[in-house]
Amino acid sequence: MADKMQICNISENNFEQCTKCSICTTVCPVAAVTTDYPGPKQAGPDGERYRLKDPAYYDKMLKLCLNCKRCEVACPSGVHIADIIQSARMKAGEGKRASLRDTMLANTDLLGMVANKVAPLANATLGLAPTKLVMHSVMAIDKHRTFPAYSRTKFETWFKRHAQSRQDAYPKHVSYFHGCYVNYNFPKLGQDLVKLMNAMGYGVHLLDKEQCCGVALIANGLYKQAKRQGRVNAASIRQTVNTDHRTVLTTSSSCTFNLRDEYPAILGIDTRDVRDNIMLATRFIYRLIDEEKVKLVFKKDYQRRIAYHTACHMQRMGWQLYSIELLRMIPGLDLQELEQECCGISGTYGFKKENYERSQAIGSVLFKHIADAQVEAVATDCETCKWQIEMSTGLPVENPISILADALDVEATRQANGL
Amino acid sequence: MVTNEVYNIEYDVIVIGGGVTGAGTARDCALRGLKVLLVERNDYSTGATGRNHGLMHSGARYAVTDGESASECISENMILRRIARHCVEETDGLFITLPEDDLTYQRTFVDACQRAGIRADIIDPAEAIAIEPSVNPELIGAVRVPDASIDPFRLTVANLLDARLHGAETLNYHEVEGMIVNQGRVEGVKLLNKRNGEHVEVRGRVVVNAAGIWGQRIAQMAGVNISMFPARGALLIFGHRVNKMVVNRCRKPANADILVPDDTVCVIGTTSDRIPIETVDDMRVTREEVDVLLNEGIKLAPSLATTRVIRAYAGVRPLVASDDDPSGRSISRGIVCLDHAKRDGVEGFITITGGKMMTYRLMGEIVTDAVCAKLGNTAPCVTASQPLPGSEEGAPSQHDTTKRYSFGQRAAIGRHGSLAARIETDNDIDNALVCECEGVTVGEIKYAVHQLHVHNLVNLRRRTRVGMGTCQGKLCSCRAASLMGEMNHDVKRAQEDLADFLDERWKGMRPVAWGDTLREAQLTAAIYEGLCGLDKAVDMTGKEEVQ
Amino acid sequence: MRMDTVIMGGGLSALTCGIALAKRGQRVAIVASGQSTLLFNGGSMELLGCVDGKAVTSPLEAIAALPAEHPYSKLGADRISELASEAHSLLTDAGIVMEGKADANHWRITPIGVAKPAWLTLSSHFSIDSLGELPCKRLALMCIRGFFDQPNGMLAEGLKGLGFEVDKLEFTTDEITALRRSPSEMRANSLAKRLVSNASLQRVADEINRLAADADMVLFPSVLADEDVIQTLKSMVKKPLRLVATLPPAVSGNRMQALLRHYFRMLGGNYLMGDTVVSGTLEGDRLTSVTTAKLGDMPLRADNFVLATGSFVSKGLVADYGRVYEPILDLDVDADADREQWTRFGVLEPQAYSRYGVKTDAGLHCLKQGKPIQNLRAIGSVLSGHDAIKMGDGTGVSLLTALAAAQSILATK
Repeated sequence: MADKMQICNISENNFEQCTKCSICTTVCPVAAVTTDYPGPKQAGPDGERYRLKDPAYYDKMLKLCLNCKRCEVACPSGVHIADIIQSARMKAGEGKRASLRDTMLANTDLLGMVANKVAPLANATLGLAPTKLVMHSVMAIDKHRTFPAYSRTKFETWFKRHAQSRQDAYPKHVSYFHGCYVNYNFPKLGQDLVKLMNAMGYGVHLLDKEQCCGVALIANGLYKQAKRQGRVNAASIRQTVNTDHRTVLTTSSSCTFNLRDEYPAILGIDTRDVRDNIMLATRFIYRLIDEEKVKLVFKKDYQRRIAYHTACHMQRMGWQLYSIELLRMIPGLDLQELEQECCGISGTYGFKKENYERSQAIGSVLFKHIADAQVEAVATDCETCKWQIEMSTGLPVENPISILADALDVEATRQANGL
Repeated sequence: MVTNEVYNIEYDVIVIGGGVTGAGTARDCALRGLKVLLVERNDYSTGATGRNHGLMHSGARYAVTDGESASECISENMILRRIARHCVEETDGLFITLPEDDLTYQRTFVDACQRAGIRADIIDPAEAIAIEPSVNPELIGAVRVPDASIDPFRLTVANLLDARLHGAETLNYHEVEGMIVNQGRVEGVKLLNKRNGEHVEVRGRVVVNAAGIWGQRIAQMAGVNISMFPARGALLIFGHRVNKMVVNRCRKPANADILVPDDTVCVIGTTSDRIPIETVDDMRVTREEVDVLLNEGIKLAPSLATTRVIRAYAGVRPLVASDDDPSGRSISRGIVCLDHAKRDGVEGFITITGGKMMTYRLMGEIVTDAVCAKLGNTAPCVTASQPLPGSEEGAPSQHDTTKRYSFGQRAAIGRHGSLAARIETDNDIDNALVCECEGVTVGEIKYAVHQLHVHNLVNLRRRTRVGMGTCQGKLCSCRAASLMGEMNHDVKRAQEDLADFLDERWKGMRPVAWGDTLREAQLTAAIYEGLCGLDKAVDMTGKEEVQ
Repeated sequence: MRMDTVIMGGGLSALTCGIALAKRGQRVAIVASGQSTLLFNGGSMELLGCVDGKAVTSPLEAIAALPAEHPYSKLGADRISELASEAHSLLTDAGIVMEGKADANHWRITPIGVAKPAWLTLSSHFSIDSLGELPCKRLALMCIRGFFDQPNGMLAEGLKGLGFEVDKLEFTTDEITALRRSPSEMRANSLAKRLVSNASLQRVADEINRLAADADMVLFPSVLADEDVIQTLKSMVKKPLRLVATLPPAVSGNRMQALLRHYFRMLGGNYLMGDTVVSGTLEGDRLTSVTTAKLGDMPLRADNFVLATGSFVSKGLVADYGRVYEPILDLDVDADADREQWTRFGVLEPQAYSRYGVKTDAGLHCLKQGKPIQNLRAIGSVLSGHDAIKMGDGTGVSLLTALAAAQSILATK
């Protein structure tokens, strides 16, 4: 028996592998700007030992955690610090009674659905000074925030009208989890993906049922609803993977991370059987090129200088390499990789009035790096980083898929792939 | 009081031994109006008091083999819940039967508990798993008893504090070198002040030997022979709690069959080996002991197999030899109070020994009764009803969720009960954490240094839990050494104190230095030797272990 | 995914090797399991500080006398001088400005006030060339109120022991007082994030100028984020100002790590932060690819691989209940089989585990079952054959073996 013992110490979330080296505290963006938050070491492994002794040791300030996971990435001992904090919040019943504001921000699809129907009105209303004031005071959404514009036509609607019928004709197929942002705010990204995949000979298909992945629900403590929606998504993904044998592509790093890792770790929805079939489109495409199964041909006259920002959840997934390497394939693109910093928005966090200043302070280091890089645009795989960076730097921010689609010579690519 | 004045008083009673028995005796004597001096050769609670499970027995463990001890236990258990609330956590305990055990023993066990007055409820194994998820799921039987967890360091300090509040003097680092014996009568003790090397004599009308296993040596100094039965037990500390309740095996007591949740950790023990009396100061834990503890421990709670072991330690039970039982388990844990006037014709000298941490109060009562009989004092014993300092009615509780305490405040209340009010909390620096694992603040360190007889970092650890978390003092030991140096205006000693503390921590880590515990040790070495050069500043050769 | 070289581990040796290769046009990926032990570095590199308990004055001479199993001996004592100078230049190119000589150690001052032999020390940090000739007499030791990761008492005593007159001067500013509201987060790196703007530095400088008027030199805790900030504060303070290391995580180590990483990325290197190599595929005497936890079923293929995973603390070596092993490929290790032999009774005694590491041949190739793997070299703290804690040679071994491995890889092309 002795030889099977003590091989590794596997407590939940590896919390006792912590050597108290305190390295996590050097990367926490929240502790860097406020003394109200006890920092990842205290909130995570230190606090957990006491919470195991008595839940009375739960500290309400844990709600300030952005769940950006930078502590986990920095940890040399593999401790899932942010997961420890999230599960402590969940056990303590945080978010049982979420405010109207939190519920509204968390329900990105509900908000989107309403706004989308009345897009011109919503855009005007959400941008209007008196409305902002009401939001600031009554709903505690910060008045400095520009809500992302809502598209008049949902991506799903566009897809059904203009793209769906053509997809079956392609020799190979993928499914697409587009997420709320593509559906309601920025259908162009979805259209770019369809353009890119089609040029490589892949038909793109929507899931049977797609709901908001729930990343914002988790951050706002609405765990029950997140679980409900998560189960719907898990079923749809399982169906397309098992029945249609299609990989599920995504264009949002946060949705991807949530579907693959947070579903099992935080919501208790076991997606491990299909985890390897959910991936960012950049990884999927990189692999095809790496295995010499497809080719991309780019426009000859494309010239841009762009900085790549690794979103926090992207870094947690470790997949920035694929986006960066794909972008480096574009001949006219001068790409600068930025030192990884948090932009401060963290989904809906920065939208809340009480977090606005903190959010901007967190992002200031990144904004300075961007200014120093002297670029014309920023690339990132996260839509909320996009809002924050656009608002704070004035530079356009684009998803690598859109940049690829933009630089792509479609006809030459189709030919190179035998279409 | 200036130390020299302390030496010049003629005491009613001098208590030798700063374990919980000595502390409880000093308190009882003081509460009955006697002038008391307690002397301890090291720090308080460094012997068996600080080297056990921290288990507040219900008595169930002894019910089958020793009904008298069992009855004493349950009665003291109920008293301690009232008088020492801030030292006790009311966890309850399980006695589980595993497939390899004889289930018929359960009936014998429950009957014996009932005879001793211990509540023992047979519960369904499924219910046992529900209330204590860490328990071995293969169990075939479970009995619930009123076991609990108790902190012996706090308990000892609370007794000492109350003794002092009632006029007693207490001196640590004062070793008894000999007895003042005059015409067959013990009239005092010869002491070595280990902090300054001074030799002094102090007089007392009665001397109480409460020196535990070292009581045999003390008795010899008075020309009296007591034959102790040193039974050594080793234990392991895990990095965090895996269990909420005490878990025991429902069988005849054997190796490593008790798992106790103690504060932020849990402890498995013990082994039991008879050792020669000459070796009672050697507390090194062997590889064989570690193997036995782990192998047996995982039968109680399988998750121990993959939980980090942060320390190993050993203690020696001060049992009095009564037969030749080689296991040392079936001999009585009963209290032995020897009036050497009656037994050996030596006046003014009483030994209190045997017993258990659990029955320290009763031992104190018995020996104080004997002292009072000699001195003609007729005051009644009140220790069973008067709460210890920190545990008064209405004292704040760490479990109280209606109050918004900071982490440091809540942890301090858990350690000091109502006395936490003496810790300064009204400025940011006093509220700053020194030990982040255990929530020890600057304010708590000040309180301990100024009011709880702290001379070095190891003392500080026993009073506050500084450096008792999983990292065993990685960054906090340097912070605390520096702070203490400034408070005591003795920064010169700070480096040495730091090295001593790290050495004391390492002694416990070394027997279990694999996995994350070895990683922890390497990082500590990288910080204090590599980065700081502590090994270049301090010479540890030929140094005794720090107590 | 195909690279020229994949480096497992992301600390000092990995980055040094990665930079040396990327500079020569190689496609390099570094797989870093989180931040490295460089964050425990107080701003100095040590080539060789101590042999048989005695301080080394000339590392180059002492290295020539080291036993054969020492990594330096494997590199060849005659190459040390050249490699050391290459390492110094590489650090400078990365923006890490350090001073020192490989043929004469100087003394760095540790956070608890001990003088330890060092090869290179950040120019901004306080160091002493010779203990017999102090650079000045009277030091003003600036003590930040409420900052407990600088043990000022010990530091001052240590400096006095070296012959200095020391004034301990406690001060605070609004930013510092505000930070102390946090019971847990007043650390060197959190101070560094607050003391950035000119206004906040001016407030610090005002306090220094007010308190330290009589000093020859001002010592300030190493809580300044970068060279710009240090220069700004220096320009505001009337006396010469030097930094002294604090307890970790150290700002200087953090900064060195960031500068090296930045330089590596500028050279086109891929730094995979927070990922871990979990296994590798061996074909005959060559490693063909490694799999990481996050890249999953897309292994990293390369012509050459470098093992720079560090010692136990970084999990480059693992000690479990029964044995010491190398966790990725189960390479041959130099370690005692019996657990009792791993450690010694006293905490400050030389610990046997400090010498453990993977076995390598003369060309730093890792061995498996006694046979070298031709395209896998080990560098840095994962190497056996020396006790970095007692000898004060950890950073030197990391830098020099990294450069030697890079040279050897480039030579195979």
